[in-house]
Amino acid sequence: MGRKKKKASKPWCWYCNREFDDEKILIQHQKAKHFKCHICHKKLYTGPGLSIHCMQVHKEAIDKVPNSLPNRSNIEVEIYGMEGIPPEDVKEHEKQKTGGGKGSDSEDDEPAAKKKATPALGKVKPLGPGPSSVTQGILPTPMGHVPPGMYHPHMQMNMMPHFMQAPRMMMPGMRPLFPAVSVPVSTPSKPTFPAYSNATISAPPTTSSASGSDPKENGEVKPPAANSCPLVTATGAGSKIIHPPEDVSLEEIRARNIKYRPKPKPELQMTQTAPTMITPSTSQAEVAAHMSAAVAAARQQQAAAMRRPMMQPVVLPQPVRVGVPVSVPPVMGMLPVMPQFNLMRPLQPGMLLPGGVMPVGVFPGVVMPRYR
Amino acid sequence: MFNQLGGGSSNPNKDVEVASPPEDTVSAMEFSPPSVPQTFLVAGSWDCRVRCWEVEASGKTVPKAAQGMDGPILDVAWHDDGSKVFMASTDKSVKCWDLAANQTIQVAAHDAPINTCHWIKAPNYTCLMTASWDKTLKFWDTRSSVPIMTMNLNERCYCADVDYPMAVVGTADRGICLYTLEGKPAEFKRVESPLKYQHRCIAIFRDKKTKQPTGFALGSVEGRVAIQYVNPTNPKDNFTFKCHRSAGTTGGYQDIYAVNDIAFHPTHGTLATVGSDGSFSFWDKDARTKLKSSELLDQPLTKCAFNHNGQIFAYAVGYDWSKGHEHYNPNKKNFIFLRPCYDDLKPRST
Repeated sequence: MGRKKKKASKPWCWYCNREFDDEKILIQHQKAKHFKCHICHKKLYTGPGLSIHCMQVHKEAIDKVPNSLPNRSNIEVEIYGMEGIPPEDVKEHEKQKTGGGKGSDSEDDEPAAKKKATPALGKVKPLGPGPSSVTQGILPTPMGHVPPGMYHPHMQMNMMPHFMQAPRMMMPGMRPLFPAVSVPVSTPSKPTFPAYSNATISAPPTTSSASGSDPKENGEVKPPAANSCPLVTATGAGSKIIHPPEDVSLEEIRARNIKYRPKPKPELQMTQTAPTMITPSTSQAEVAAHMSAAVAAARQQQAAAMRRPMMQPVVLPQPVRVGVPVSVPPVMGMLPVMPQFNLMRPLQPGMLLPGGVMPVGVFPGVVMPRYR
Repeated sequence: MFNQLGGGSSNPNKDVEVASPPEDTVSAMEFSPPSVPQTFLVAGSWDCRVRCWEVEASGKTVPKAAQGMDGPILDVAWHDDGSKVFMASTDKSVKCWDLAANQTIQVAAHDAPINTCHWIKAPNYTCLMTASWDKTLKFWDTRSSVPIMTMNLNERCYCADVDYPMAVVGTADRGICLYTLEGKPAEFKRVESPLKYQHRCIAIFRDKKTKQPTGFALGSVEGRVAIQYVNPTNPKDNFTFKCHRSAGTTGGYQDIYAVNDIAFHPTHGTLATVGSDGSFSFWDKDARTKLKSSELLDQPLTKCAFNHNGQIFAYAVGYDWSKGHEHYNPNKKNFIFLRPCYDDLKPRST
C-alpha cells in the first residue's frame, strides 16, 4: 500500500492515530470524525469547541471525543491538525512508527513474510505466535533501531527450539506409515511458499479491505498482543470483539463447563458394560438385555436429571435385529427415538407414532416391521 | 401444526421452523447427500444427541429419529450413500449411526474431543477423516479400531472441510494445513493464515469452470472472512472482507462478532456466512459483493447448511458462548430454520 517513507513529518491525528498525507486532510478528518456534533451534525473546529456547542445549543454535556482512542478522548485538550499535540505523545508516536510502523506495515513486503512464516509454523508456546508486529512486543528495545533485515537472527534463535521439538511430537506408539507426512513441515525462517505468501500479504490489508462500504470504521483493529497469554482483543478505537478474552475456541470454553463435562456414570452396572469399543463377541441376546437395561437405566436417569424432552420417550422394540456387532450407547433408551417404519403396511387411520407424528417417509432399505 | 410461519423476534426472517428442535445449541448440521431421494437433515447438539428430520417439499419437517453419545456432539457427517451418519463428540469418539437399523457403532477414537469428522469418497478408497483437540488428524477404515493413517497437526483442530481431492484443516494458533486425498491422504502444504484472529470455520470452494476444489473461505472470531485460492493466478485474487459487525454508532463502539460457519452454494458457488451477531449473509466472492443480509435474530446463529441441490438453506440459532457462561440460558429455545434460497444466492453478474 504505497512506499514506507521514514517521514516523521507525516501528519497524524492525535485522537485516533491515523496518518494522513496532508495536514489539510487531517483537519477535514478531525472535523468530520471527532469534532462533529452527534445531535445536529454541525462540524466544529476543536474538541473544547464541540463541548461548548453541545452545552449551549443542545444543553447536553459530552465527556469524550467521538471516535477516539480510549486514552485520547479528553475533550479539553485543544488540538487542531498537528497543533496542540503534547510533546510526549509526539515522541510516543515517533517511536511507534519506527518500531511498530515498520513492523506492521512491512507485512506487505516479502522480507516480513519470513517473519510471519516462521511463527505460523509449529508454534505452540504462547510466546508471540502472531505476525511480526506482535513478536516485536517480546523484543522491545532493540526494535526501534534495528532495520527489519536484522530480525532474522533473533527470530531464528527463538524459533529453533520449537522446531526441534516438532519431530518429537509423534503419537506414542504410532508407527508412521508415511513418514514424510508425519513430521510437520519444518523449513524454519524461509518463506516456505514465497509465491503464496506474497499473494496473501499483498491482498488488501485489513485496514482498507474490500468492504470499503463501512464508513464508520474508526481505528484499526490490530492483532492481539500475545506477550504472555493469548487474548482476543481489538485495540482499535470504537471496536470490541464479542468473544471471551481467552484466545481459545468457544467450544473448548463451553466444554469445560460442568454441564457438559463427562458425567459420573450411574451405579447400574449394565449401562457400563456397553463400552465404547467394538465387542464382536456380543451375542444378540446380550445386546437385547443391554438395551432393555439401558432403557430402564436411562429412564431413571431421565427422571432424576434430565429435562423433559420434546418428544415422548419410546421403548425400543424387542427383540432387536442385530446384523453386525454393535455397541449400545447407554443413553439410547431415553431418547425420543422413533421406531422403524414399515414399508409394507401403508398408513392406516389410527396408526400414529408416539408423539402424534404421522410417519410419512422412510429410510431407504428399511424393513423393520414393528411398531411399538 | 409444526411450523410457525410468521414474524416475531425469534423468527424475524419469517422462515420455516424445524419441528422438535434440539434442546441445546446446534453444533453441527448437514443435509443428506444426493444418493438419497428424500431430503433429510441431521443436526448434532450440545445436548449430546443427533437428530434426524425428513424435510418435505412443502416445507414440513418430520422428526425421524435420534441417537445419543456420551458427550456433546461436535460434528456430523453423512456417508456418501446416505445410509449412515457419523457423529463426533467430546466423548473422544466417533460413532457411525446406521439409519435403517437405527443402531450405532463406534468407529474412531482420539485422546481428546473430536472436533470434526468428514467422510471421504475417493475413486479408489473410502474412509472417515477425524480431527481432534489432541492435535492429530486420523483416517479410519470404519471396520477397524486402528486408524489407517495418523498425521500430526501443529495445534488443536478448530475447523476442517473436505471436498475430494482436497482437504483443509484450520487449527488453533491460526494454522492452516492443506491435504491432497488423491491416491491416499497426504499433507500438501501449510499455509500462512490470511487472518489475524482465531480461526473458526472453513469451507472449500470450487472453480466455476472446472468444478474442481480450488480454494477455501476461512472465518475468524473477528467478523472477517478470507477467500484464499490454493494457487492464485493473480495475488490479488485472495482477499478478505468484514462481516457480522454491528453498525458503529457515532462515538459508540462497533461490535465485532465471530463468523460461526460458512457454506458454499453447491451450484452457484456463492456463499453464506452465519455469525454470532444473530444474522446470516449471502455473498458473491467473484463479484466481491454482498447479496443479502438477514434480519437480526435475538440469539447467535451457530451453523448453516445447503441441501445437495441448493434449494434449501438451513441455519441453526442458539447461544454460542460468545459472551461466556453468564449469558447462557438453558431455558431459551433453540431453533433451526429453513428457507428456499436458490434465487437469493444467484451470483451477481459483474
